[in-house]
Amino acid sequence: MDESEDVPKDFIKLKSEKLSVDEVSELVISSYCGAVSLFIGTTRNNFEGKKVVHLEYEAYTSMAETEIKKICRDVRQKWPSVKHIAVHHRLGVVPISEASVIVAVSSPHRAESLEAVMYCINTLKASVPIWKKEIYEDEYSWKENKECFWANSEK
Amino acid sequence: QVSVLYFARSAELAGLRCETLSVPRQVTALQLWEEIVKVHPRLAVIRDQVVFAVRQEYVLLGDQLLVLQPGDEVAIIPPISGG
Repeated sequence: MDESEDVPKDFIKLKSEKLSVDEVSELVISSYCGAVSLFIGTTRNNFEGKKVVHLEYEAYTSMAETEIKKICRDVRQKWPSVKHIAVHHRLGVVPISEASVIVAVSSPHRAESLEAVMYCINTLKASVPIWKKEIYEDEYSWKENKECFWANSEK
Repeated sequence: QVSVLYFARSAELAGLRCETLSVPRQVTALQLWEEIVKVHPRLAVIRDQVVFAVRQEYVLLGDQLLVLQPGDEVAIIPPISGG
């Protein structure tokens, strides 16, 4: 067996090219693991009755990568059996139905990887400095995650 | 002198993404915000929605005392929407 597979790894990437589910799953597959869980966030074509033409993402890249690393560290504390974690987020223009984010986690058994994936995406939405602009036909809107801990959405 | 980074709506309001500003070495987060709004008054409208990231750590706009070093990165962080 390849011993380097045993070392848990975090694969974090922010990129403007199309994301690949195959590529991200293959990063976390391990012969020590019986489970790979995946979350894919895709762009919807509508918001409150308005047609969404496409999304645009921007990021404070260096801090976003650091915050995602913190999330990976937290995941490993909460679910020590988790093996590999991959988080790929797309930046720039993302057309409708394409993936803006893919999170993949491998673990020996399925419960941990399923829970870890949910924790990753929920925490990413609360703490990682990435912004999404929804482009409609004649206007645009900077979105705000309800998970964002400092945004006051009652205003 | 610190590097101030603007993102999303704050970059649109300030009209730029990055600049160097001279600020006091010790300053509260709120005072730092006031300094930045002097340079870019249009930012005032988002005051209740933003936080700072100072050396890549989040800081609320309040009384926390910041000790800044030359070259430190200070980012204006509007409400995030990743994922």
